[in-house]
Amino acid sequence: MKEYPLQDIAEPNLLKDIFPYSLPPLIKFEAPIKEMIDGKEIVFDPTEVLNRDIHITDTTFRDGQQARPPYEKEQMVKIYEMMSRLGGPNGIIRQTEFFLYTQNDRDTLDACRNLGLRYPEITGWIRASIADFRFVKEMQLKETGMLTSCSDYHIFHKQKQTRQQAMDQYIEVVETALENGIRPRCHLEDVTRADMDGFVIPFVQRLERLTENQPDHLKVKIRLCDTMGYGISYPNVALPRSIPKLIYRMKEDCGVSADRLEWHGHNDFHKVHINGSTAWIYGIDALNATLFGFGERTGNPPMESAVIEYVSLKGDLNGVDLSVITELAQYYEKEIGANIPTNYPFVGKDFNTTRAGIHAGGLRRDEEIYNIFDTTALLNRPPKVAITDKSGTDGVAMWVNNFLGLTGKDQLTVMKVAKIQRWVMDQYEKEGRLTSISDKEMEEQVAKHFPDLYAKVKK
Amino acid sequence: MKREEIAERVIKVTARELKKSPEEIKESDRFSYELGADSLKSIELVAAFEEEFDLDLDEDEALKVQTVGSAIDFFAGLLPE
Repeated sequence: MKEYPLQDIAEPNLLKDIFPYSLPPLIKFEAPIKEMIDGKEIVFDPTEVLNRDIHITDTTFRDGQQARPPYEKEQMVKIYEMMSRLGGPNGIIRQTEFFLYTQNDRDTLDACRNLGLRYPEITGWIRASIADFRFVKEMQLKETGMLTSCSDYHIFHKQKQTRQQAMDQYIEVVETALENGIRPRCHLEDVTRADMDGFVIPFVQRLERLTENQPDHLKVKIRLCDTMGYGISYPNVALPRSIPKLIYRMKEDCGVSADRLEWHGHNDFHKVHINGSTAWIYGIDALNATLFGFGERTGNPPMESAVIEYVSLKGDLNGVDLSVITELAQYYEKEIGANIPTNYPFVGKDFNTTRAGIHAGGLRRDEEIYNIFDTTALLNRPPKVAITDKSGTDGVAMWVNNFLGLTGKDQLTVMKVAKIQRWVMDQYEKEGRLTSISDKEMEEQVAKHFPDLYAKVKK
Repeated sequence: MKREEIAERVIKVTARELKKSPEEIKESDRFSYELGADSLKSIELVAAFEEEFDLDLDEDEALKVQTVGSAIDFFAGLLPE
């Protein structure tokens, strides 16, 4: 075992090459990834993600909307516009997809299209049926997703078809799309529970043969749909659950390039975000996401997490405006009435709120100790403290100074707020309180003990 | 201010805040151990010292003081003779 003597350095090592604070923490790969696939050692180079055009596609208005009450048209237009700003001029949020079945669906699509925004590009979503394809043509879309379910659960039990019948039906719609100059995007529903050699690979190979002579903008895209959240990111897991092997087989056995591959996940096993970013690392360019993960059952990859992961992988904002994440969350809660859990990463009311005195103490000394990155600058969300019997005088001092807007040497010390902390502790120790202290109550204490400073804030 | 006067005032404030008699308090006593001051009480004690000596203390420096004797020396270093 190698001996490691203590390095008693004069200045702290803050690992700024990984934790710049001005960006989300960076992800640095040090070596290739090796996995055994069909008895062969296959090497994946995760550093390629720096050079590939990884991006996000959106299904907020489709999978997201399936899982909640319908949005109003004006809400969808507003959300679409905010997504465009979030993804920035380089189109990190590259595409979105719309239902086309009702007049309202189509009117909403037109309203979004009329904004004239380059990104996200507007695409459709249909079942793989000729009847549905009619809507795509009428709406003059350039690309459409189509539901090409690929597990025997779906083919035999839902669709009551043989594999041949299912493939023929899907191919018919794909051919029709190509004849009309519309790019088909085949959504391989339930792929993480499908027979790869018996259906998925033959189907995708047939799709590739159909489109191999098409121009690039018409070549078929493949969306790998982890419909039930069964996908696994760990190395050397068996198919069909292995995400790395799924991607490898698409590329090696079917010839689908990274720019035509998309990942769509679900969160039934709490794996949705990591599975999505794993797909990026192992060679898929597009990660399909929804705002705040709202989607069927347990939801989809949260878009805000995907955007932040993008920055961590690329080491650069590349034009994304992370503050729109906060704007979208506020819009969802105030205008749409959605309930985002208070501890939800990046957007929950308390995602960067501490109630622990020891954490508040750390934050007071150096915000970087207990704040994940500069959430004030990037998300417009400064770290906060909430007061309970565990918050200590550090927590109270942090709350009071934040409220009064006092910084640096102007901040009140713990000695100055000790009377407020005594009041807080009396609530619990003498009055038997079991609830948190509200902001309103804290404000009343500040008004009582610091009337002059309070008056300045309230002016 | 002479050290003796500072000592008398430190012990007086300590006794009042920690509900001890001044005679019980020795310079070697640790506020948080022999004198039983918890975290909040320690801060209230420092706040009481600020009031007693009309000082605004540096939080980190003041809260490092562990014993009655070192508190006396601390204030002796801050107050004019």
